[in-house]
Amino acid sequence: MRGVRARNESAWLLPNDGTRTSHGLRRGMREFADDDEVDLVIVGCGAGGSTLLQRLARAGWRVVALDAGPFWDPDADWVSDEAGSHHLYWTEPRVIAGDDPIPMGSNNSGRGVGGSMVHYAGYTPRFHPSDFMTWTQDGVGADWPIRYPDLRPYYAAIEQELPVAGEHWPWGDPHSYPHRPHPVGGNGELFLRGAGRLGITAKVGPVAITNGRFGNRPHCIYRGFCLQGCKVNAKASPLITHIPDALARGAEVRPDAMVTRVEIDERTGRATGVHYSRGGVARFQRARMVAVAGYSIETPRLLLNSASERFPAGLCNDFDQVGRYLMVQGAPQTAGRFDAEVRMYKAPPPEVSTEQFYETDRAKPYQRGFSIQTVSPLPITWAEHVAAQGHWGPALREYMSDYVHWSCLGALCELLPQAENRVTLAEQTDQRGMPVARFSYSRCENDRQVMRAAQQVMEDILRAAGADEVITIDRYAHLVGGARMAADEQHGVVDADCRSFAVPNLYITDGSVLPTQGSANPALTIMAVTARAADRLIAGARAGTG
Amino acid sequence: MTGISGRRRERFPGFDVVAQASKWDPVTAGSVLARLGPQPDVSFFTPAERAVAAALLDQLLGQHEEPLVPAAQMVDARLAVRQTDGWRYEDMPEDGQAWRDSLSALDADADGRFGSGFVTCSPKEQAALVQAVQDLGSGDWHGLVASHVWSLWIRYGCTAFYSHPQAWNEIGFPGPAYPRGYKNPGIDALEPFEVRDAQPSDNPVRDGA
Repeated sequence: MRGVRARNESAWLLPNDGTRTSHGLRRGMREFADDDEVDLVIVGCGAGGSTLLQRLARAGWRVVALDAGPFWDPDADWVSDEAGSHHLYWTEPRVIAGDDPIPMGSNNSGRGVGGSMVHYAGYTPRFHPSDFMTWTQDGVGADWPIRYPDLRPYYAAIEQELPVAGEHWPWGDPHSYPHRPHPVGGNGELFLRGAGRLGITAKVGPVAITNGRFGNRPHCIYRGFCLQGCKVNAKASPLITHIPDALARGAEVRPDAMVTRVEIDERTGRATGVHYSRGGVARFQRARMVAVAGYSIETPRLLLNSASERFPAGLCNDFDQVGRYLMVQGAPQTAGRFDAEVRMYKAPPPEVSTEQFYETDRAKPYQRGFSIQTVSPLPITWAEHVAAQGHWGPALREYMSDYVHWSCLGALCELLPQAENRVTLAEQTDQRGMPVARFSYSRCENDRQVMRAAQQVMEDILRAAGADEVITIDRYAHLVGGARMAADEQHGVVDADCRSFAVPNLYITDGSVLPTQGSANPALTIMAVTARAADRLIAGARAGTG
Repeated sequence: MTGISGRRRERFPGFDVVAQASKWDPVTAGSVLARLGPQPDVSFFTPAERAVAAALLDQLLGQHEEPLVPAAQMVDARLAVRQTDGWRYEDMPEDGQAWRDSLSALDADADGRFGSGFVTCSPKEQAALVQAVQDLGSGDWHGLVASHVWSLWIRYGCTAFYSHPQAWNEIGFPGPAYPRGYKNPGIDALEPFEVRDAQPSDNPVRDGA
C-alpha cells in the first residue's frame, strides 16, 4: 500500500481519533475568486468529478469543483437509519415516462460531495473485455472507442485507492484485489450454499470496503447501513478516497453551488466558465476549461439548458446525441424464505456475487447477460418487496413480521442502449426556474428476456439453499450513458478522452459517457474512465496540445 | 421508553428497540427518537383531507388497534416540506397535488357507493373501497392511472410506518447500529440484544396470511 499513499494520500489525511472528517483540511482549503480564471472548473463532485479533481490537483492545475449539494460530514450529517437518510438522494423534481418509467432518487441519484457513491452498496466489479465491443462481438449495443486494455491500469490503480476487498476474480480479465475478502453474514452464506449445490461459481466481493485498517480508515463494523452513507469511513466514496488528497494539493470544493449553464464564447466557440447559483445569488466562475460531471440525468439536462446562438438545440447537441442511449440495469430482486433466521441486515448488503452468466451464451435466445449479487434490504425497502406482491393491510403486516427469515439476491441485467431512451427537458421548472429533466425509458424484447432468465437463476439458487418460498420484485438500478463517447460526433457527444466533439475545452467525465454498461455496477468504471481522461489531459497540456 | 407495544403476534417477546437507544450515536438517536415524540402540526393537508388520509393509511397499514403509528402526520409533514422521492410519473401531478386529488376521489367513491364520506364508512366498507382501487391495476381511476396512485399511497405509507421503532419491534429489527455494529452475523446467530422469533415456522407465505 506504500505506493498508493505516494499518489493518493486521502486515507492518511483523515483523522484517526474516531471522528470522520478532517475539518482542518477543509478550513484551510484554497478558495478561488469567481473572476479568477481557473485552469478547470468541474461540475459535480461524485465518482467522476472527484477523481478528476484529485488527479489534476496532483498535476499542479488550479481546479475548483462545484457541487449542488452539501460538503458532508459523516459524523454530523449521516444517520444509521433508513428514513433519516433521505437527504443523501437527489430529490429535485424529475419526470419519468416511457413504457417502463424508472424511479429516480434513492434508486440511483446522489446529492452532495461524494455523489451517488455515498449511498451505493459498495460493489466495484470491473467491466469485462467484451463490454467494449458488444456490437462487433454480439451484434447489439455499441463498440467503445477504447478497449479494455486501455482501462486495465486505471482499474488496478483505483482498486488500490478505494481499496477493494474480494477473492481472486475469475471472470472477465482475471485479477486479484488488494484486500482480502470479508467474512459473510447469513445472506452471503445462503447464496454460497445454493450456488455451490447447483455448480454455479460465486465469489466473495468485490466490495470497496476496507478489510483491516487503511491509512486512518478503520475496519468495517458490519453495520448493514452501507446504503445510508458509511458513518465508519470503511466504505469508499470520493468524499474520503479522493477529496482529501485534492484539498491537500490546492484544489477547491465549492459545495451548495448549483450550476445552471455552461457559458460559450460565440466567437471562439470555446467554454469560458459556468453560471451557478449559491445561497440564492447568481454567480459566474471563469475557467480555461470546463468538465461536466453531473451524471446521466443532470449532465444532459445542463447541456440542454445551455443552448445558445451557436448551439440552438443545446450545447454539444448538433447531431441530436445529447441525452440519448441512457441505460439502466434490469435489477430484479428475488427473496427466499427460510425457517432459520437469516437477519440479512447484519452485514454489508454487498457480500457475494457471480458473473457466470455475464457473457452472451449462444444457446440462449438473448444476447449479453447478467450478474447476481447479495442485496440486503432494510425494513422500508423490504416493505416495497412485500407490497409489490400486492399485499396491504393486515397481510402486509403479517408478511413483514417474517423479515428475519428472508434472504435476498439481486440481479444486474445488461439492458441494451437505445436511442429513444433519453433525457429531454420537461415544461416543468425547478425552484430556480430551470427546466427539469424528463427521462423516458422502455425496454426491448432482449431486455425482458434477460431479466426473466436472471429471475429464474435467483429462484433456483435460493431453492437449492433450502428456501421453501420465493418472491420477486422487478426493478432497475444504476444509470449510465446520455452523453456517450464515440468514434465521431454523429454517434456520440465526447471522444475516447472524454473531450466533447463540439467544444474543444469542454469535457464530460462521469457515467454519462459510457456507451454500454455490462452487468457490472458502474462506479469503478466511471472512476477508471475519468482517471484515464485526466492522464490524457495532463499529457496533452505538457505537450502543449491541451 | 420501554413498553412501546404493537407486537401483534408476539413473535419477538420482550424485544424493545428503544431500550438500546443509549448505544446509538447521538445524531441517529435524535433522528429516530423524534418519531416517538409529538409530531409537528399539520400544514399541508386541510383538516378534512387529513382525516381521509389517516383513515386510508390505517387501512393500508392494517392499523386497527392502539397504539397507532401516526402515519398520516408523518406523510403530511413530508408533503409540507415537499420531501418527494425525486420523481413523478408523467401522467401524475406533483406528489402533494396527487395526494389531494386521490383523497378527494376516494371520498367521492365512498359517497357514490355507500352514501357517506370515506372517514365515516365502516372499516369493512373502507377496505372494499381501497381494494377497488388496487383491483383497477393500470386502469383509469378518476383520470389517474390507478397503479400510480397505489404506488404513491403505499410508498409514502410504508416509509412512514417502517421508520417507526414500534414497527421494528414487530418485525425483530434492532434499528440503528452505529457505533456498535454487529458481532454475530450468520444463520441463526443472535446478538445479546436481539430476540429470537418465537414462531419461526409461522410462515405467512406458506400459510396464506
